[in-house]
Amino acid sequence: MFSYLIRRLLYAIPILFGVMLITFLLFFVVQPPYARARAILGEKARPAQVQQWLHDHGYDKPTYLNTKPGQHLFDSLFVNQMKRLITFDFGVSDKTSLPIAKTFKDGVIPSLCLTLPAFVIGFIMAVTLSLYQVFIRYSALDRFGVFFCVALMSIPPMIYMFVGQRVLAMQLNYFPAYGFDLRGWQTAKFLLLPVTLMIVMYLGNDVRLYRTIFLEEITQDYVRTALAKGVPQSRVLFVHVLKNGMISLITLVVAHLPFLIMGSLLLENFFGIPGLGNALIHAIQTGDAAMTNALVYLGALFYLAGLMLTDICYAFADPRIRLS
Amino acid sequence: MPSRRTPPFRACALLLLSLTATFFAGCGNDPNLKPEHEKRADGSPWQVRYSYMPDDPRSLDPQFAYDQMSRRLLEPVVDTLLEYHPFKTDPYEVMPSLLASLPERVKNPDGTETYVCKLKRGILFHNDPCFPGGKGRELTVQDVEYGWKRMVDPKVECPALSALQDYLVGFGEAYETAKKADGLDYSKPLKCFEIVDDQTFKVHLLKPYPQIIYWMAMHFMSPVAHEAVEFYDGKEHPDANGKMVLRPAFKWHPVGTGAFQLVEYEPASRARLVRNPNYHTVVFPSDGYPPDRADFLKQFAGQPVPLVDEIQVTIFREQTPIPVLFNQGYLDSMGVSKDAFNRVVTTAQELTPEYKKRGVVLEKDPDVSTFFISLNMEDPVIGSNKKLRQALSCSYDGQSYVDIFWNGVSPVAQQLMPPGIFGYDKNYQNPYSYDLDKARKLLAEAGYPGGIDSKTGRQLELNMEASANGSEERQMTEFVQKGFEQLGIKVNVVENTFAELLRKEDAGKFQILEGTGWGADYPDPENFYMLLNSRNFPPEGKNVSRYKNPEFDKLFDKMATMDNSPERLQIVNQLRDMIGEDCPQIFTFHKAFFTTINPWARRTSTNMLLEGAFKYQQVDPAMRAQLQREWNRTPKWPPFVLVLLIAGAAGYAIRLNRKRNV
Amino acid sequence: MIESLHHFFGNWITQDVLVVVFFAAVIGLLLRGSRNERWQRAWKFMKGDRLGLAAGVLIIGYLIIGGLDLLQISPTTTVFDWLANDVVGLHDEPTKASYSAPFSTHTFSTAKPEPLQFPGRHFLGTTQIGKDTFIQALKGSSTALLLGGLTSLIYLPLGILLGISAGYYRGWVDDAIQYIYSTIMAIPDILFLIAFIMVFGKGVGTMSWALALTSWISLCRLLRGETMRLTERQFISAARALGQSHWNIITRHLLPNVMHLVLINFVLGFSGVVLTEAILSYLGVGTPIGTASWGQMIDGARGELSREPVVWWNVSAATVALFGLVLSLNLFADSLRRAFDPKRS
Repeated sequence: MFSYLIRRLLYAIPILFGVMLITFLLFFVVQPPYARARAILGEKARPAQVQQWLHDHGYDKPTYLNTKPGQHLFDSLFVNQMKRLITFDFGVSDKTSLPIAKTFKDGVIPSLCLTLPAFVIGFIMAVTLSLYQVFIRYSALDRFGVFFCVALMSIPPMIYMFVGQRVLAMQLNYFPAYGFDLRGWQTAKFLLLPVTLMIVMYLGNDVRLYRTIFLEEITQDYVRTALAKGVPQSRVLFVHVLKNGMISLITLVVAHLPFLIMGSLLLENFFGIPGLGNALIHAIQTGDAAMTNALVYLGALFYLAGLMLTDICYAFADPRIRLS
Repeated sequence: MPSRRTPPFRACALLLLSLTATFFAGCGNDPNLKPEHEKRADGSPWQVRYSYMPDDPRSLDPQFAYDQMSRRLLEPVVDTLLEYHPFKTDPYEVMPSLLASLPERVKNPDGTETYVCKLKRGILFHNDPCFPGGKGRELTVQDVEYGWKRMVDPKVECPALSALQDYLVGFGEAYETAKKADGLDYSKPLKCFEIVDDQTFKVHLLKPYPQIIYWMAMHFMSPVAHEAVEFYDGKEHPDANGKMVLRPAFKWHPVGTGAFQLVEYEPASRARLVRNPNYHTVVFPSDGYPPDRADFLKQFAGQPVPLVDEIQVTIFREQTPIPVLFNQGYLDSMGVSKDAFNRVVTTAQELTPEYKKRGVVLEKDPDVSTFFISLNMEDPVIGSNKKLRQALSCSYDGQSYVDIFWNGVSPVAQQLMPPGIFGYDKNYQNPYSYDLDKARKLLAEAGYPGGIDSKTGRQLELNMEASANGSEERQMTEFVQKGFEQLGIKVNVVENTFAELLRKEDAGKFQILEGTGWGADYPDPENFYMLLNSRNFPPEGKNVSRYKNPEFDKLFDKMATMDNSPERLQIVNQLRDMIGEDCPQIFTFHKAFFTTINPWARRTSTNMLLEGAFKYQQVDPAMRAQLQREWNRTPKWPPFVLVLLIAGAAGYAIRLNRKRNV
Repeated sequence: MIESLHHFFGNWITQDVLVVVFFAAVIGLLLRGSRNERWQRAWKFMKGDRLGLAAGVLIIGYLIIGGLDLLQISPTTTVFDWLANDVVGLHDEPTKASYSAPFSTHTFSTAKPEPLQFPGRHFLGTTQIGKDTFIQALKGSSTALLLGGLTSLIYLPLGILLGISAGYYRGWVDDAIQYIYSTIMAIPDILFLIAFIMVFGKGVGTMSWALALTSWISLCRLLRGETMRLTERQFISAARALGQSHWNIITRHLLPNVMHLVLINFVLGFSGVVLTEAILSYLGVGTPIGTASWGQMIDGARGELSREPVVWWNVSAATVALFGLVLSLNLFADSLRRAFDPKRS
């Protein structure tokens, strides 16, 4: 198993490189730093100001290879960016000139405050509801449940946000309509609404998915045996099927775990939660290539970490790999 | 059987739900932070105002910042030599701030001019760790000189450089020398800045330039403490316990002499300003009150400023929550956005009855700005064909545009200069304003009868560049497009990112550019007509239309440095008529701001050239607390209904379950 | 060269021809599929599945309306416009008008309402520049259709080609394709889409490319897995033994046996494209100015919902229209999946 995991780890490296290449092409080749500098410094900026800015950020270098006399061959945009990403030296944001690492550290906690509770509570709810649906499988209520889940999935997420904010924050005045504050118990006040909305947004998809998985478990032989032995249906379902189904579930779900750090792009933006999702959306909309680059790179890292976790889970679950 | 498992399960589920329900209902929706203190030193209540900004500032370095957001946070923190009088707007007036009096203007025999300036005594910098012992020291003439030197420092890249180097002695040369030497030598004095004694300095100009006093009201000429620049270098330093702590760069940690100190700035989140206890540079003015609020303002005459202790500025990148929070009473005032117009303002430009009932006040302020559509004078199709430009100008329905998108609030622009600038005549009518028949006639005379090119028989096709953000702006662009197309021509809207738009502007690669505009740096015709001077082609200058007219340039140069007089007025009118005929720009509207103000935060300053005038703002906290409670009642019944629904669903499910297992 | 190509494809007659050809091609493919025995069985199942049938009918409705709006009869009007304006009698207000509530006779204003040119005839009110909301909502289906169609045109061949190649040839071909899609999957979809569109400019063409580049992966993986499973079966090795060429095996044995998966993925992909367009419009990188799209109408809701009284009809119309299409597509895909499932219970 160890060698299997090592191989998977090594495989991640060229993928990371591929990601860096794609983001570099998008942010430095198609839209050159000069245009971005003009956009960031504003209409009233003079060309000399722009040049100074480019120099401060290290963008006044040739794109791929530096053939200028007296300068190192590999002192180019491409190589510098690669070096920085690999060493986690993200530098400063194009727009605000604040260190990106600081923005990242500041943004992790708000994002997790939103995604972690939503994930945990959402998971528990989805498992409960899907197990219940399996319990009453193929009945009218179950079929309605499936239809309802598909309907939930077909509503654009913005509608959830608009309605949620309007009803709960504006008309009933239960929650602040916007904002965030990390000091003490106040934080919960700002989180209740976005967390609830996030749970509802993903519920439809999750319940349907888990229902399929548990339904497959039901068809297994051990279920028939247990029922024949006289074990009550609910016990079979909520204990045996749950345990076995969890294995498939967890391997599916574990891939998302590291990615939770990135937060939710839409919700953070709408409710003003200063997490990584908000930082990312803003970075893209303002053309802040340094920030976008760093965040996408980190996102890829987390995604690959998630894949690794999935592989580890598979390795434990599948004895063929575990014992090899 | 199942029934053995369910009762405890059901019970605790219900318990959990009721707990959550009560928690929901007791939460409350106040998004503002707790203020710095509860009471002042003398026991009176600590007063806070809640304001907002739609975006982050780009930089808080006084010699670098030029955009509106940055100015809003800089204005209360860093003082300027002179400042605009908060109440005098017709005409605008500057009054002394850091200077003890207005500078004395000396006309030298060789054609140069000198301004003699005297600093006030006893002004202290903010208490900040960059000073020894954390205590701010006294402001000196050397600090003013240091700020001026930063203007020519190539590492700072002051945007005012290109404008000022034409007027200040040795300014441009100092910058060039510093650039060649790869850094400014701060030990060498500036030719234009002469220190006379510890309170007095002289500014030397190459030629007459009365507008220099307006520049003294801008941050570029503000004094800077060198300790602050040296201390806040953006690097890590060991703190008192030896731990390495990152110090912000100077551009994010301004240290000045202003009425407020910037104690907190979280990008994309909020900024917090707290009263500077050592501020006594100016007091609340005792004169110049507009008659309609003189009674209200009298009570503050002569009082020390700032009137409030703390300002919390939330940064809203999303516009939708702003009216929500304003209506809940968590924001003191709100710029009425286009979306919120109809809710707040009727077509008669009055407050809607619902708002009047709450005691909200509506302030109407003309902004000193003009928006226009730029036509490229170097484009082969448009640039050479005056009648075509005139035809386009006549097909634009300014009044309808303003009615639909601005609820008739913003005045339609007839000329480049906005109201409030010397030479603005509100009775002047642009000879090529909306007139569809005239437009069609002109188009035919231009060689495109009915929109068809009389030489080639093809329909005239023009490209219009736009950079629309959001559905509202998209519809505005569509409106302009449809307006032009009434003539029978085809207009392609090309959507650009901001960067692309700038690129096309710089290169002059466009035909029609929609959505350009200019806001006054200072209230003088020179600041507007310079937009059409042939010396100011992009990327160095702002002559986006690339208008080149030697007649215009000659008159402009003559008018630029004249004092306001009937002669000057005549020349200004000539310039106006020239532009009206040549149509390098199609004028759309002058921005006007409608601001709604909650009853406890009645406005003091009315001068739009000031960015917020925070130190003159006042508030009635008791009224605010009471109205907030009234406006934010939370009905208690919905959570219990929710609990009942869920219990019902659970009950039904359990009954179904029992049926199944039997 | 690019200019003349642009002119050629920009010409409305060419576009009409392309639309007709596209529809004909789709119908032709479906008819060809009906010769397949598995498809015939599936069709029999679906005829009995009432929910799937209803969804299918609704989808056809959207296709008809969308299709009518894609066929132009003059540079500025389409068949749909002609039907709506001249036949049924629904008109947009002139641009001077503003919002108006459903069935109302005056514009929506608290103090001084202006009389409408077509009072009482706007079932769902009007937008800010006077366009009839009902018409806009229906026209949105043509944008959805166009976007979905163009995206599918790009991603289906890509996904089929790469998926089957990876599953059939295995070896380094498989490794290379796996590497490519693993890399793209590592970048979150929305990010990639926003970045791509911001960099290459807005427009239906760019959006289609961006959406296609993120959509092909799921199809590719699906077909790769299925192809691998199929190639392990005996009929493939028999064909190889008989000396059939790779190309023949792929087109005659593999392709027909995976087309049902392609169909299901296509339907789901379509619903994904429609939803994603809404999200992208909300984030500011949606369809360009002047195109009617549901995403843009929902985006406009941000301001409209904070008015008092609320302007609710635009966002509601767009949401219902979008929901109708996406729900139908999802239910139809579900029905398809069950129809083609060999272990159908």
